[in-house]
Amino acid sequence: MNPLDATVESPLAADVWADRYGIRWYSDPEPGVRDVARAMNAVGARFVTITAYQLPKEEGFRFEYHWDLAGRLLGFTFQISGSSIESIYDLSEGADWIEREVHEEYGIDFAGRVYEPLLLRAGQTGGVNLREEVAR
Amino acid sequence: MSYKIPMGPFHPALEEPYKLDMICDGETVCDAKLHIGFNFRGIEHLAETRNYVQVIALMERVCGICSFIHTLTLCQAMEKLTGLEPPPRAKYIRVVMAELERLHSHVLWAGIAAKLMGFKTMFMTCFELREKIMDVLQAISGNRVNYSMNRVGGVNRDIEDPLSLIPVIDALEREMVRTVIPIFTTSRTAMSRCAGIGVLTHEQAISCAVVGPVARASGVDQDLRRDAPYAAYEEMKFDVPVQTDGDVRARLLVRALEILESCKILKQALTGMPAGEWFTGDGKFNFVTGTAAARVEAPRGEVMYSVTWKEHARNPARIHVRTPTFATMPAVRYMVLGARLADTPLIQASIDPCYSCTDR
Repeated sequence: MNPLDATVESPLAADVWADRYGIRWYSDPEPGVRDVARAMNAVGARFVTITAYQLPKEEGFRFEYHWDLAGRLLGFTFQISGSSIESIYDLSEGADWIEREVHEEYGIDFAGRVYEPLLLRAGQTGGVNLREEVAR
Repeated sequence: MSYKIPMGPFHPALEEPYKLDMICDGETVCDAKLHIGFNFRGIEHLAETRNYVQVIALMERVCGICSFIHTLTLCQAMEKLTGLEPPPRAKYIRVVMAELERLHSHVLWAGIAAKLMGFKTMFMTCFELREKIMDVLQAISGNRVNYSMNRVGGVNRDIEDPLSLIPVIDALEREMVRTVIPIFTTSRTAMSRCAGIGVLTHEQAISCAVVGPVARASGVDQDLRRDAPYAAYEEMKFDVPVQTDGDVRARLLVRALEILESCKILKQALTGMPAGEWFTGDGKFNFVTGTAAARVEAPRGEVMYSVTWKEHARNPARIHVRTPTFATMPAVRYMVLGARLADTPLIQASIDPCYSCTDR
């Protein structure tokens, strides 16, 4: 049985969660981001946000996805070595603007969606890493 | 024949930049696209260059109206990483400040909404009420906008005589019940401008994951003060107003009823405020490595801070802020669909948008 299926059946009781500093993290490895979005939709969780982290050197990026379920903040971590991750916009409309913002701030490609018009920098080039631009 | 009306970036109702491109057929809006980012400030990136004292002052500037809420959320996340628990009195003072901020935000919004409806007298009444709340905030903190009240481990200032504030709260409640709410809910002009206008259905509210009064006006029963209590909210008795129509009137009603609930909470917090210290710790902190999150129910809905720190570091490694308007504003394109062009300024204002938060 997929651990996420157990989560869907009994989301807050399943033993795949670990509470840390106000977030209930999903500790079972390797669910895909779209699988998570589907599971969260199935239990009626509300999408909250995505936090992007640029890892040192060439290690890539870490993403923390958050949903709210009955007042509890759930967290899922995904790490990528490149600069592309699947979009969940079609599954969770609330992810639209934050995906666009992360795309514009970090140059991340959320595969399977378009970004026009640019959210933060209308008329300029999209998909650049603003932090690296600033550093230059 | 359809044509495009660009509204903004200088908004007809609110003095902040944002643009709504509307495709109209005659006077009816058929499609809309939103543009933000006209004043993007990169505050999350700036936060990484500030130490644990400076970062509180910086994040207070994310929003001019909810400045207390932003530092409260940040400090609550930082307290999780330092293991500091604020004393009970500090938690009560935080509740008082948060509710005063909600009052002043909702009354400000009511004034702006009244002005947009053509109710100039009501606009003045609301701003007079708001001024009294601002006076209380100034009396407590010494400031009218950025209060500098929060610190890691508590608050910076005590409320020396909490009971002296109760007459002000009583007067505000009286004025709301006697004047503001009846006019907003029974006047024919207000009804014609608000009822059935700018509808966001329950399904759309769930799909867009909107928060705060906008969600509650579309029948989504959520409020972090009740669902995930922080500060001293667990000890407060209050109701969460929910309406189901999803129109401008429902948003107005939710905020009006929330004002009364805020008064109820304020009176409980002021009368039951425990004695004792209002902060803990010596101002020097040891952060553990990790990510902490805190969420607070701001006047416009849920604010979330995700704060990452490395042990022994003075500056945060990353701070991410999810503001309520950032979650709610995308739903405006549903609200304006099928609306008359003349109603769109009020519809946009009905979400009580904060562009300062959005362009953080």
